Amino acid sequence: MKSEAVLEKLKPAPVIAGHVRLGDLDDQLLTHAGERPPLAWFIAFAMTSTAALIGMALIGYTIATGIGVWGNNIPVAWAFDIINFVFWVGIGHAGTLISAILLLFRARWRNAVSRFSEAMTIFAVICATLFPLIHVGRPWLAFWLGPYPNQRGIWPNFRSPLLWDVFAVNTYFLVSLLFWYIGLIPDLASMRDRTSNKIRKFVYTVISLGWRGASRHWRHYEKAYLVIAGLATGLVLSVHSVVSFDFAVSLVPGWHMTIFPPYFVAGAIFAGFAMVVMAMVVVRRTMRLEHLITEYHLEVMNKVILACSCLMGYAYLLEGFTAWYSQNSYIHHTFLQYVTGTYWWTGWLTITCNILIPQLLWLRWFRTHYSGMIFVTLAVTVGMWFERFVIIVSSLHEDFLPSAWHIYKPTIVDCGILLGSFGLFFTLVLLFARILPVIATTEMKMVLPGSQAHKEGGSHEQ
Amino acid sequence: MSSREVFSVLGIFDSPHVLMKAIPTVRAGVAAKLEAYTPYPVHGLDEALGLRKSPIAGMVLVMGVLGAVAALGLEFWTSGVDYPQVTAGKPCFSWEAFIPIMFEVTVLFAAFTAGLGMLLLLNRLPFFRHPMLMSKSMPLITRDKFVLAVESDECTLDVDDIFGLLQESGAAAVEIVEAPAVQGPSSPKFFIGVLIAIAFSCVVAGCATYWAMKLFPKTVPMAHMLDQPRLNSQQENNFFKDGSGMRMPVDGTVSRSSLPYNLQEQEEAEALVNPLPRTSEVLKQGQRLFNDYCSVCHGIRGDGLLEDGSRTLTPAYEANPANLLSKSIVDLSDGSMYHVLVKGKNLMPSYAPDLTGDERWMALHYVRVLQRAFNATDEDVASAEK
Repeated sequence: MKSEAVLEKLKPAPVIAGHVRLGDLDDQLLTHAGERPPLAWFIAFAMTSTAALIGMALIGYTIATGIGVWGNNIPVAWAFDIINFVFWVGIGHAGTLISAILLLFRARWRNAVSRFSEAMTIFAVICATLFPLIHVGRPWLAFWLGPYPNQRGIWPNFRSPLLWDVFAVNTYFLVSLLFWYIGLIPDLASMRDRTSNKIRKFVYTVISLGWRGASRHWRHYEKAYLVIAGLATGLVLSVHSVVSFDFAVSLVPGWHMTIFPPYFVAGAIFAGFAMVVMAMVVVRRTMRLEHLITEYHLEVMNKVILACSCLMGYAYLLEGFTAWYSQNSYIHHTFLQYVTGTYWWTGWLTITCNILIPQLLWLRWFRTHYSGMIFVTLAVTVGMWFERFVIIVSSLHEDFLPSAWHIYKPTIVDCGILLGSFGLFFTLVLLFARILPVIATTEMKMVLPGSQAHKEGGSHEQ
Repeated sequence: MSSREVFSVLGIFDSPHVLMKAIPTVRAGVAAKLEAYTPYPVHGLDEALGLRKSPIAGMVLVMGVLGAVAALGLEFWTSGVDYPQVTAGKPCFSWEAFIPIMFEVTVLFAAFTAGLGMLLLLNRLPFFRHPMLMSKSMPLITRDKFVLAVESDECTLDVDDIFGLLQESGAAAVEIVEAPAVQGPSSPKFFIGVLIAIAFSCVVAGCATYWAMKLFPKTVPMAHMLDQPRLNSQQENNFFKDGSGMRMPVDGTVSRSSLPYNLQEQEEAEALVNPLPRTSEVLKQGQRLFNDYCSVCHGIRGDGLLEDGSRTLTPAYEANPANLLSKSIVDLSDGSMYHVLVKGKNLMPSYAPDLTGDERWMALHYVRVLQRAFNATDEDVASAEK
């Protein structure tokens, strides 16, 4: 009796609340594209697109004038641009983790949140690639980064982590886009067959490639999806590791540490999950998806955030230990700079937002209530942005020679472009939520009770 | 209805369980090709329909390895062969540093093989003229129904038989999908259209390339680097009163390594002494300067003759260059010879503009070497043999 009760407790919570039929999913999830959005959507869109336009205008100003309009100056040659790049690439990692790693682990709850977080991956990587592109100063010559035969007879330096970054981020973007699109094809076919609007029908027909749900197609489809998930798993771990090499391979005190790759990957997943939860909460509420994205989903994701927060705390401690154990006065100085120097408050803000506030998630109330979740995830987003600020600006502004020290101050253009990247990201999220199904309808159908045929001679627990 | 026009007969099922149960019955009943259409992948359908495993994994493995090899090959050839540069003291082919890019390219190749290989090669998509897409069942399939299709596949179907079989095995409804009308050969009009489209694309691509290569880099802000305000030498400029962009040196300016030389007569210069030491570097430079400037008239040995004994260019100028090896020149002091170099003598012009002060002294050192070498005595040979 007792063991049965324990087993009952250990059983995973249902991934869908209430009784949902196959067609209900289509009726709820695939109809938005044909409808007029509610007023709240227009208000939100106006706000985000204004922010995006401000950002674009300032990027235009930067390109036309030169990056001297930013606050960067030697020794702080990297500042907002690289902070934002690392921040946004990190945000993307949650999507790939959910869609790829959790698929391999057969975590069925991922099906409800995978599409949305994959879309956020793509939008985040778009925001991220913007920054190195404008940081080169002459973005129209950015193709010089690639290895192509040229009149000058020169090739890029394959030993440079910056070039590894070019390959890693581009691969990441292309593979994420491919993965997302392949997942979308059956849903697009459903939308094609639902709509009676001629233009929409034509568009959906073309982008769904004439998908017809044949079992001869599904067997390749499922296999390919699984293989790409496996490959994307390697990407999640590699991309932010490569980003961390930009720092770890250099000799700057505070950067030259072997802990950087795992520390960056954990931070990326941490920030990404916070962003996904933050946006998901809004989408779930406004689009009435409570029965598909259940409390269980949010709780599980919040637990991931909590686990990552503990990992981050460990990484911070280890950073301090490495600084002390190195017996190197430059590293000692840099580490003390983080918490007592010019930018002391950013260091403490990072610790508060990334380590202390997420500990609230030990309480169930914070894992299941909107206000609690939004408070914690906002704190994590702010904290993770400032963590990169600490790593980049605080480490650079006082380097080896006191004569070269320089206090970095961002200009209004820096701040405007940061605002613009948030505007661009949420504009894309809003558009996505209206145009494409925010939940992978086909994948949800797979996990509905009774959606798979029973095997002969045994019951298949759903 | 003629059975030739039938592409397939569909049985529409309400649940995957019924579909799965029906498949063995129908498979036993008809010889034609069976295909199932479902809104999502139903596990176990492949085995029930007797489909082979997907070959994707093998394709991905091959292309992944190819990606790794291609990346390593590119890195080896560019960094090790075509453009070998030593950075951070590492060997040109430092394979350890090439691993991150090898990994990324492997993933890129493998993922696109899986994705595009699945869509384009294995599933033959995009394909918009499949008869199923025109059927009434298609919207049901992409929504919530499960369809078992008996497809003609180059054999005729006995429609009534199949209807019975499907209904017996639990189909809620049946549908006949007609084969698409056979399309006649394309008309010449179509080919002309294609040719015009190709020609048009070429023109557009050409214009776009011209714009991108020639015009785009010259527009602002791309042209900012081309616009570099500066004065070229000899250029006119109204900033200064004399209208010239170049400035004359301030009065009394002395250029480095060319101290002013104010002596007028050769006798006045006699007391000057060669200030340079007779090191091998000085002599070598002196030799080079002598060969470049002096040997044209004075000959490579300094005697005014070429190797074969004929006279140097000088007959053309009706000149008779001094034999630098002769006694009168050997007896001249360094200072006198220096004066000749600066002021010129007879037809010989001044070498002051061509040679700096130090260079003149170097050349003179070398002239002394020549004089000594060609006026050697028996004692010199004896002392050298010692």
